[in-house]
Amino acid sequence: MNEALLEQVINGLMMGSIYVLVALGMVLIYGVMHVVNFAHGVLFTMGGYLGHFFYHRLVDSYVLAILLSMLTLGLIGVLLERGVFRPLAGNLRNQVIASLGLILFLENGVVALWGPNALQWKVATTERFVEIGELRFSQHHLGIILITLVLVAALGLYLKYTRFGTAIRATSQSQEAAIVVGIPVRRVQWTTFAIGAMLAGIGGALVGPLFLVFPQMGDVPLIKGLAGILLGGMGSVPGAVIGGLLLGVTESVSTLYLPTDYRDSIAFMVMVLILLVRPQGLFGQRMRGED
Amino acid sequence: MAVRRFLGWLLALSVTAALLSAPVWAAEHPYVLHMMVLICIYAIPAVGLNLMLGYSGLVSLGHMGFAGLGAYTAAVLMVDARWSFWSALAAGTVSAGLAGVLIGLICFRFRGHFFMIVTLAFGLLLHAIMNNWDAVTRGAAGFAGIPRPKPIAWGDTVIAFGQLPNFYYLALALTALVFALQYLVVRSNLGRILGAIRQDERLARSRGVNVLMYKTVVFSLGTALAGLGGVLHVSFLRVAAPASFTMLESINTVLIVIIGGAGFLVGPVLGAVVFVALPEGLRLANEWRLVIFGALLVLITLFAPSGLAGLLGRLWARLGAGSKEPGP
Repeated sequence: MNEALLEQVINGLMMGSIYVLVALGMVLIYGVMHVVNFAHGVLFTMGGYLGHFFYHRLVDSYVLAILLSMLTLGLIGVLLERGVFRPLAGNLRNQVIASLGLILFLENGVVALWGPNALQWKVATTERFVEIGELRFSQHHLGIILITLVLVAALGLYLKYTRFGTAIRATSQSQEAAIVVGIPVRRVQWTTFAIGAMLAGIGGALVGPLFLVFPQMGDVPLIKGLAGILLGGMGSVPGAVIGGLLLGVTESVSTLYLPTDYRDSIAFMVMVLILLVRPQGLFGQRMRGED
Repeated sequence: MAVRRFLGWLLALSVTAALLSAPVWAAEHPYVLHMMVLICIYAIPAVGLNLMLGYSGLVSLGHMGFAGLGAYTAAVLMVDARWSFWSALAAGTVSAGLAGVLIGLICFRFRGHFFMIVTLAFGLLLHAIMNNWDAVTRGAAGFAGIPRPKPIAWGDTVIAFGQLPNFYYLALALTALVFALQYLVVRSNLGRILGAIRQDERLARSRGVNVLMYKTVVFSLGTALAGLGGVLHVSFLRVAAPASFTMLESINTVLIVIIGGAGFLVGPVLGAVVFVALPEGLRLANEWRLVIFGALLVLITLFAPSGLAGLLGRLWARLGAGSKEPGP
């Protein structure tokens, strides 16, 4: 029994790590631009497809493919910020509608280019295993958790101790005040968008070899990422990390007691419950001006 | 001015005549009629969303979840409980409207982003139920064997809805009814109050408007229309599938409203026409269809936020304006 539990906890941490990578990007972008990027899930999908493309067509190294995919997504992020989200700044409705347009454009663009079927992506780390007690996990599972932890730590240090990281935090707190003290808010915004897109990209490239690469692969991480953000508290970076991990583990452990069909519905329940009972989330201090 | 009014009537009359005579002029091309039924099926939920998104500023990202709720309610009643199409149509519409009241009351605790996220979550939840509750909804494989309405006998004439032209008239009549309802709502006091809420919710509240009540009313009206469209949809296809009521379908409905022109009476209908007919007109491969619509949606929000109806309206205003107005 305990082993089954441990297994589900580790599986949950792995899934949670994926949610964290998506949630972190969305929280950072929400902080500096006050927009929920509903197209973040398709950026995740792009990460998977680009990683697959680079791995099979360009370089023969998984690590290099991931890095290239991240870089490309960073560029895409800058383009989206400059071309779509900045011109619509201040108009929440149109920003959200434009992000819906991006979902249609990118998700179906992937179908048009690569076809509707899932692509296989064979990587050595999914075939090698690590034994913990009686349990066996693929290196890939543990690698995802580890890489996410490293990224989260690096991002935390970056936000806390570098000049630009401080500028990002300042812009999230108050855009007007940031402009007044001379922070280049526009540069902060496109950089943050690029960082967010890169995090989604690495998420997609990490998951691809485990669960195949397919056009809708970003839908679930988008929803779970949103749920993780709401759980942790909108706009709180540590909240997004803890919320995402908590959601992953809860879902995974629940499969021991509930039929697996309902695993995905847990996120929706959590979202609605949290919003009803504690709208600021577990760690959020306040709701941002939402009018 | 008089010219414009005359032209307006002429246009309305000729459109009506063309729509009513469609089974005659399209007799050789049943596919045209098929597409026109699809336009109606997309336009009805879109009118509902236009009332919410266009006239009241409520962006719901789970609209087609409610269409599915209505459709499956009607499907279960028709197939398992042997209800007639008409009572199932009413039941499907009402149940989607009631769900709109309940879910709306939860969603209206939030504004802005949070409202959209919660509507998205409910849309997904409804879809998950259709997909997973095998005992009632038959699960992911779909709910087959949904009947068309029974033939109506009127003296000697019998109207059978298995025939495409008759189903087309049914869809057209329902769309006309829904369109008239939209007109009545928008031109009534309710419409003005909704406009006030959209423009400044706090101001409306400070003037004594019961904002929550009016939002709930329009939300449930919108979801009821979604349900109506859903019932028509599954009766036309004779099968209900969860795939017809996904998040992407909800996004498509937003797309139809925005491309047509949110907050214009003809917006959702124009949008549905473009959504169904444009890919056929351009002979697009299916996989490029939504790619182009996605790009179009982004471009419209950037450059023409009032959509097709706004563009046409501006053209219309220019027409005949030169003769009457003395100029600046």
